Amino acid sequence: MAAAQTVDYSALAELMGEPVTTSVIGKPQRASELPASAVIITREQIARSPARDIPGLLQTYSGIDVNRWTAGQSDVAVRGGVQTYNARLLVLVDGRQVYLDHYGMTNWNLLGVALEDIQQIELIRGPASALFGFNAASGVVNIITRRSSDKASLTASAELGGHDYSRVAGALQLPISEQIGVKLSAGRLREDERAIRAPLLAPEMVPDVQSDHVAGSVTGRFDQTEVTLDGGYAENRQAEYLPSQYISNQHYRIGHASAGLKHDTDWGGLSFGAYANWLRADYGLSEAAPTRDVDNTAATKFANRIIVAQGSALIRLDGNNTLRVGAEYRNNRLRSPAQFSQTVSYDVGSANLMADLHPAEAITVTLAGRLDRLSLSQSGVIVQPAFDAPSAFDRDLTRFSFNAATVIRMGETGQLRLNGGRGYQLPPLADFGLRIPIQTPSPVPVFIAGRPETRPVPVWSAEVGYNRAIGEVRLETTAFWTRTEDAIATPGDGLQLDLVLTPAPLLVSRIRAVGSYTTYGAEAAVSGRYGPLSWRANYRYTHTDQTLPPITAPAPFALSPKSTTPRHKANLELGYDAGRWYATAIGRYTSSTRQFAFTTAPQLLLTPVNEAVALDARAGFKVHPGLELFAAGENLTLAGGAAVSPIPADRRVRGGLRVSL
Amino acid sequence: MRKRNLLGGLLLLALPWQAGAELNVQVAARVVSFLQPPPNGAVQAAIVFQPGNAVSEADATSIERAIGGGVAAGRASIRTRRVPISSLGTLGNYRAAFVTAGLRDEQPGIAAAAARGSVVTITSDQACVQAARCVVGISSTPRVQITVSRAAARAANVRFGSAFLMLVKEI
Repeated sequence: MAAAQTVDYSALAELMGEPVTTSVIGKPQRASELPASAVIITREQIARSPARDIPGLLQTYSGIDVNRWTAGQSDVAVRGGVQTYNARLLVLVDGRQVYLDHYGMTNWNLLGVALEDIQQIELIRGPASALFGFNAASGVVNIITRRSSDKASLTASAELGGHDYSRVAGALQLPISEQIGVKLSAGRLREDERAIRAPLLAPEMVPDVQSDHVAGSVTGRFDQTEVTLDGGYAENRQAEYLPSQYISNQHYRIGHASAGLKHDTDWGGLSFGAYANWLRADYGLSEAAPTRDVDNTAATKFANRIIVAQGSALIRLDGNNTLRVGAEYRNNRLRSPAQFSQTVSYDVGSANLMADLHPAEAITVTLAGRLDRLSLSQSGVIVQPAFDAPSAFDRDLTRFSFNAATVIRMGETGQLRLNGGRGYQLPPLADFGLRIPIQTPSPVPVFIAGRPETRPVPVWSAEVGYNRAIGEVRLETTAFWTRTEDAIATPGDGLQLDLVLTPAPLLVSRIRAVGSYTTYGAEAAVSGRYGPLSWRANYRYTHTDQTLPPITAPAPFALSPKSTTPRHKANLELGYDAGRWYATAIGRYTSSTRQFAFTTAPQLLLTPVNEAVALDARAGFKVHPGLELFAAGENLTLAGGAAVSPIPADRRVRGGLRVSL
Repeated sequence: MRKRNLLGGLLLLALPWQAGAELNVQVAARVVSFLQPPPNGAVQAAIVFQPGNAVSEADATSIERAIGGGVAAGRASIRTRRVPISSLGTLGNYRAAFVTAGLRDEQPGIAAAAARGSVVTITSDQACVQAARCVVGISSTPRVQITVSRAAARAANVRFGSAFLMLVKEI
């Protein structure tokens, strides 16, 4: 590729001898100098990990909770607040949101990206709303795919394993000319669901997990300008625990199109981009008689479209100080027969400003603020009987998010960090207008419904961290405090009902803000390398205080971070690289928790999940520089609590080949 | 005689430390790939040295050994050729110049030649960058630190991409 010099993560990492990211404040920074607590997982680490998906990669780092509720459904939580359909973590692929706004969740099997195409995965712990806006309330995951290259290349994997596991995925890079390159990626995954045993409620049929995607991009680099056009389609079917902790089968289809332009200047860089995501989600798939095929005719259907346009300028004020100015517009629309009216939507206009300043040789101060103004509305036919006045949806909200950090360099390789901020979790669109009838013994019809008055959830964060490198050994420690106010919960059991006269009497249980909780704790991580041996260990302690509705049966809301978040987590990874072969082993300890689930009664209960020591491993042998044979296994110790789910974890072993040409 | 050899050996050990450690050639080559416009194909880089200066010659040998038959840097492949101080007039034939240690007194002349030829000068001698006589300074221990002299870059009409400049220290 010719000229334009935007952020080439691979080249910059090779230059500086460590990963480089732009996810914390929008400017390129070295991993060791970030004004926030972050994890960067490199392409090499991904290739040697026993993990087969992104949650599996993230779960071995401190401060990150991964719940594998079912074989297909995972949630990633940062520093507590574990719940299904976690709406507090913003997930991006190359800056494009893959977090799904209809229910405020991330479907990790619907990202539309192959592991083989990933350059690095970046996770920022703590609110990052000042840069990324709503929903980066507890953290951000930015998945960076490989930059198109001037050389043709293919990276692909084919895997088979127990539980009818099969996966084929790959990415192909094709330079068309000196300036233009094309990238294609695709993937296909199948695996059986885990065994769901009584007394846990199970859907009447449990299909296997299916996930497919295709994606393509064209990148042109002309002088100092880079233009990218990108599109893709992904599909997924899996059993999931809903926010109510009711388990059902879902089918998702999502398409996206995006365009981006980056221009390098003598004073910094300009970046413009626009994208649209189209999601169709069918909730509650059933079994069609007599074919026993999966049937969506009775499913609750949602169609969510989001359009985002954004621009930013990164300005080098002088040698070391930087200013970033950005603006963004987004339109988010949900259409469904299961809501107040045909369409519930909002528009958000945002402006953000970041200053990265160096008042002294050893001190860096970062200040970032963002103002978001949201206008909620609804349109189309109102579903009767209606529980709210149409005017309740004509609302405007203005919220200010901020992040601040001071980093003090101590000696050649030490760094003290004080940082904090306030971010917002925007209520998912369903939380405003959902309207679903539920079956109860009550002679009066009962509905679960959203509230148009639902407010964004503020999340406050403060932390102090100290990092130091001693030779090849790197030490990272952080103490953190996070407070979530007006936490939103979906009705579970023992419904808190409002009587509504329409004029016929109805009972309505609302999605609502139910209280607050505070999480605090400490993280410590150490890593190093000695010749062919690499190692990494981390530990996190978390304590949660909560002021939330009772959790004794019948629990009205399935929200209790104190019960669902493990108090202790520890991981130890050992890797050995002998050139032609390598081996990686990871031990994961998770202390006991209790997780919500509906029983066959049906009753919402907190199910005990035992502490677990899980062992994951992978070994590979290069039969040729471009061909590797490997075997990998997760939870080889068959620890039931390793999934941190009411459904016990099983052991998953696979083998396959990886091609890099 | 033995005493003189010992003194010379100590001097050899001490001077590189004073003038900056050995140049990290791998990093230096990658720095070249961030030039604007980026170099393409075979790129000749000069190793500026002073014959008879033990420190300079040792550094030159070390750079040659690290470069070997050539080092890839982005789309470019960097090869080196020694250029003695007495031939600075030929510096304009090169895109980059690795300035060896131990050339403090020669740095003004090197800077002038680099400015005339629009050559990016790269060194492990931070003082050369501090004095705005070299464009890029590289130190490798305990970790990679890159310093860019804005004045020297401007004088040599050398430009880098903004992502690169945001990661280095610009003085």
